[in-house]
Amino acid sequence: MALTLMKGSEAIAEAAIRVGCRYFFGYPITPQTEIPEYMSARMPQIGGTFLQAESEIGAINMVYGAAGTGARVLTSSSSPGVSLKQEGISYIAASEVPCVIMNVMRGGPGLGSIQAGQADYSQSTKGGGHGDYKLVVYAPSSVQESIDLMTIAFDVAEKYRTPVLIAADGMICQMMEPVELPEMIEHKIDYKKMPWAITGEHESDTHKRAIINSLYITVEELDELNERLQANYRKIEENEVRYEAYNLENAEIVVTAFGTVARICKSAIDDLKEEGINIGLLRPITLWPFPYEAVHKAATQPGVKAVLDVELNAGQMLEDVKIAVNGDQKIEFLGRYGSHMPTAEEIYDKLLQMRREF
Amino acid sequence: MKEYIILIGNYGSGKTELALNFALRAADAGKKTEVIDLDLVNTYFRLTDRGNLVKSKEIRLVSPNFAGMNVEALSVPAEVASAFAGDWDTVIFDVGGDPTGAAALGRYFEDFAELPPGSLTVLNVINTKRPMAGTSERIIELMRDMERYSRQTVSGFVNNTNLAKLTGPGDLAEGYEIIKQASIETGIPVLYTTGKKEFLDAFLAEGHDPKYIGTPMAIDTFMHRDWDSFTRFGL
Repeated sequence: MALTLMKGSEAIAEAAIRVGCRYFFGYPITPQTEIPEYMSARMPQIGGTFLQAESEIGAINMVYGAAGTGARVLTSSSSPGVSLKQEGISYIAASEVPCVIMNVMRGGPGLGSIQAGQADYSQSTKGGGHGDYKLVVYAPSSVQESIDLMTIAFDVAEKYRTPVLIAADGMICQMMEPVELPEMIEHKIDYKKMPWAITGEHESDTHKRAIINSLYITVEELDELNERLQANYRKIEENEVRYEAYNLENAEIVVTAFGTVARICKSAIDDLKEEGINIGLLRPITLWPFPYEAVHKAATQPGVKAVLDVELNAGQMLEDVKIAVNGDQKIEFLGRYGSHMPTAEEIYDKLLQMRREF
Repeated sequence: MKEYIILIGNYGSGKTELALNFALRAADAGKKTEVIDLDLVNTYFRLTDRGNLVKSKEIRLVSPNFAGMNVEALSVPAEVASAFAGDWDTVIFDVGGDPTGAAALGRYFEDFAELPPGSLTVLNVINTKRPMAGTSERIIELMRDMERYSRQTVSGFVNNTNLAKLTGPGDLAEGYEIIKQASIETGIPVLYTTGKKEFLDAFLAEGHDPKYIGTPMAIDTFMHRDWDSFTRFGL
């Protein structure tokens, strides 16, 4: 296994390239600027296209265009920039074309801060743009997982013809970790599998004319699109839920957390285990589809007396945890706003305090 | 004699770690020490984050003008001039990890030119486990760019090859081979080989050519760039 020491942002960019991404459109914003920087150097080496757009709005519409050809395309931004992309994302979802969008979350709202945040959970999972659409949302908690999820993200985007969002945070992109990268693959557009993709050529026996569009003139046609999208989302909910269960056996408290924060929770859980106290962790890897069943099951297993949800926001995933638990378990929340990373000690102390109150 | 050490090298090569180690050694030897954080590019994992450690050792730290950790509006402070005016025994410059970062150093070209001959050492810190430093060609290309932007000439290489928490005994030897090649191609000597004591000792016992090892220096880790340390100790 050949390990390389990589910064999260470089690793994310290289992973996208290795799984066949040849188009990147973006605009700089801290803490993800190293992704476009890396792409600007790397894409020309492998015959790909890097383009710094005039704005985030420009970038997402370039993604929309490239995605319509069936090519693997990525854009990346951070919270305020991703807000600007929302209209385009809604169009991409409505046009049923695959792409991957990175959101390296920072503190918000507004211009917020350049430090890590998780306050775009609701925007990512509840439809930040207009209309009845969903994004598949992955939340990596390490540099290696960011790499591994990039492969999955492109595959899922193509399988379901849907935009996929990877919600990382500033810490993951700025952190350096030893990682293993996937082998470089050659991604060829297979028009047999992607008859919807535009070719730029006249209709032929092998390829019918394809139209990428999100405007539907009649009520019936728009209804048909919405029915198709919803059926697709139900399939995704059925097949694509991912989560990590950690130390759930004999747990007294189950912690729910995602991304960076989940990893800090793990440190607290490991420390408590050394003291002979068992705390479990249920970490959603897909924020949508949310692992409702797994969270309910973990929260209500025998011996569990409470759930602690920890987030770097005011309690956005907490709403989904509450839906999952459905009143069957006591839930407490430990939150810090973006750019104020909780320490393992704070989580450790909170868990001990909860135990005293059993 | 006064000594000035400039640390250049690409991101993740370990410049900031070495800057702290050089500074603490100098201070422990009773030298009047100043550290200049000239990294205007990176906004996470900065030397300035270790301000209290540096102060506890009575080392003077000059940081970029800094509004707060939530914004990036870094600029070079006038105070950098103290490096050339003050009565220091040792001054260490920690520079941003790419040609753009090295450009901040170019501003002080004339001050460096007036230093007594032999007092300035420009160290190019190399970690061959980083993607942009895996071959001698890449190392030399990046070095030439940084030299041009910083208006300085590299005096020697530092082999600081590591994989953070997963560093193994063979890593310094791997770095040795690649940096040796860069040294042969450029005529620039290897001045230091640095690493955690256990790995450094194991490497030294392997019997490599001392010419491409330079001075071995065991270092301590202060910059918690890796997850496990970060989640325990914070930035």
